[in-house]
Amino acid sequence: MAFKLSAEFKAKADKLCAKYPRRDAALIPLLHEVQKEQGFVAEEAMDELAALLGLPYARVKAVVTFYTMFNRAPVGKYHLQVCRNISCHMAGAPGLLNRLRDKLGIAEGETTKDGLFTLSAVECLGACGAAPVMQVNEEYFEKLDEAKLDALLEDLKHGRLPGRAR
Amino acid sequence: MPKITIDARTIDVPKGTSVLEAAQLLGVYIPRYCYHPRLSVSGNCRMCLVEVEKAPKLLTACSTEAAEGMVVRTDSEKVKAARRDVLEFLLINHPLDCPICDQAGECGLQDYYMDYSRAKSRFPAEDKVLRQKRRALGPHLVLDNERCILCTRCVRFCSEVTKTSELEVMERGDHSFIDLKEGKALDNGYTLNIADLCPVGAWTSRDFRFKQRVWFLKKAPAVCLGCATGCLMEAHYNDNTIYRLVPRPNAETNTWLCDRGRMTYKAAAAGDRLSKGVIKNGLIDLEPALREAATRIDEAKDAAAVLGSPWLSVEDNAALALLAGGMKTENYCFDFKFETGIADGILVNKDPSPNAAGAARVKAASGGLNFEEFLARLSGGKIKLVLTEARAAGLLKDALKASGARLIVFANNRGEIPAGAYATLPYASYFETPGTFINYQGLERRTEPVVQAPEGVKPLWQVVNKLSAYSGASLRLDSAEDALKGLDKK
Repeated sequence: MAFKLSAEFKAKADKLCAKYPRRDAALIPLLHEVQKEQGFVAEEAMDELAALLGLPYARVKAVVTFYTMFNRAPVGKYHLQVCRNISCHMAGAPGLLNRLRDKLGIAEGETTKDGLFTLSAVECLGACGAAPVMQVNEEYFEKLDEAKLDALLEDLKHGRLPGRAR
Repeated sequence: MPKITIDARTIDVPKGTSVLEAAQLLGVYIPRYCYHPRLSVSGNCRMCLVEVEKAPKLLTACSTEAAEGMVVRTDSEKVKAARRDVLEFLLINHPLDCPICDQAGECGLQDYYMDYSRAKSRFPAEDKVLRQKRRALGPHLVLDNERCILCTRCVRFCSEVTKTSELEVMERGDHSFIDLKEGKALDNGYTLNIADLCPVGAWTSRDFRFKQRVWFLKKAPAVCLGCATGCLMEAHYNDNTIYRLVPRPNAETNTWLCDRGRMTYKAAAAGDRLSKGVIKNGLIDLEPALREAATRIDEAKDAAAVLGSPWLSVEDNAALALLAGGMKTENYCFDFKFETGIADGILVNKDPSPNAAGAARVKAASGGLNFEEFLARLSGGKIKLVLTEARAAGLLKDALKASGARLIVFANNRGEIPAGAYATLPYASYFETPGTFINYQGLERRTEPVVQAPEGVKPLWQVVNKLSAYSGASLRLDSAEDALKGLDKK
């Protein structure tokens, strides 16, 4: 599968790189750009980015694998990321995770057959004050309980992502 | 010049010296995994923690610069406790592999465990995080990620020395491991240095794995004859067999050793090693082979020629020069001009032969033709027979073919014999006999015998001596040094 970064992307990349003293410093913002466009960071994209920034491939791969927010495979339309760290855990995250597993019929790291949902358990989302927290794509949903979770799932199934207008 | 006190001893060190290096100057060894004198400082293993007066906590000796008036303790209880704890962390997920691990006996974890810990593990074996076990990565190495302590010496070696940057630490935390691009091989010409660098059993040499337990190995200094760089190395051997070659770091030539150089020991024990003479394609005992060669040399009279070899020692070239004198031929040549210099920016030389400078020394004493003249005489039909070493014969390849001159060569292995050689005489390799070589910088390199030659195989100067006796140009050499002395008399 040949993968090429578009000329448009490259123009954007040049602008981003110019913001930093070193070209390779733009790696993380560019990875975010790739993920925004493609939904995930493919191996081929890592190759292309490495060439674009003059970095060894292994360096790009190391950065992508270090940060869990970079998806390395396509995810569903909604990426449900349930925090499993201590505050959320104590406030009921395991129950939420179980409910999601049951309702969606998938395990962590899997995507539903209709391609709508991907379920992940993630490390601290930095919103302990509002535990338990789940991140859906870029949005946080806080102080969740089972009822709120069910309502949210219904909304998502009908294509409505509540919260900030996107 | 900051003055620093380490374990109650004081030393002046150049500015920029780290505490670890300063301690080394005093003979105080500070344990380390990630620190390596020829790589950048990483400071990740935490094994070199020391107590520095007025510092609020322990500092890593490798990344702390020695400062004026600094007072360091490397042996306090606090330091020992810290090292024990660091080691405990490093061992949490380390597999219980020691009995089947090839690193056992030369493993940093085992060594420091004996020095600092000797504690029973507080982590049950079944709780260990498992990682990928052994897999071949490239032609020379096996990687066992489960044994890795993530010191990143291999990562830094590939980015700083070979500048190929294949390796990186992937993932995060407990899940971290060393890897390279999927489907790629680790093959940059210097990969076996990684097996040496690795302080644990994560990287091991495919060639050396399970051939020998390291505590049985004896060590002898050796010299690499793979090219004109003349790297110093150490041969590890046991029971008359060499098992591996490792670098003997020195300021003049090498810290590392290239993969090709490390494999040069193989020829000495290869299946095609010659222990008898060869006439055309048939094996024949050495004596009749020598007689036959001598007869042909006598037959050719002054149309016989001797070509020295930049792959032979100074002594053996000298013996060949004396033989040429005895044969009363003007056709001899010890003139080899190769472009020299480091070709790849690391170790490999543009000159593929180890001793062109040594041959030049023989030429200075004995005279002889320039290589071009020799070639011209051969092509012009003035030379009917050439006596030389197998690889040097390769330099004459086309001229030999065109002129149809008879070729008698000295060779270690059957695979070396050039096509069309009339006779081949075996000789002892320089792992089996002493010899002097001069590298591209003009530095003298002396090889010492590590193992014994196959039965009946003699050093080249002895073969030449016998050849001279059979051909009536008797040299009466008693030692390699005799050949040198004979040359000086000329």
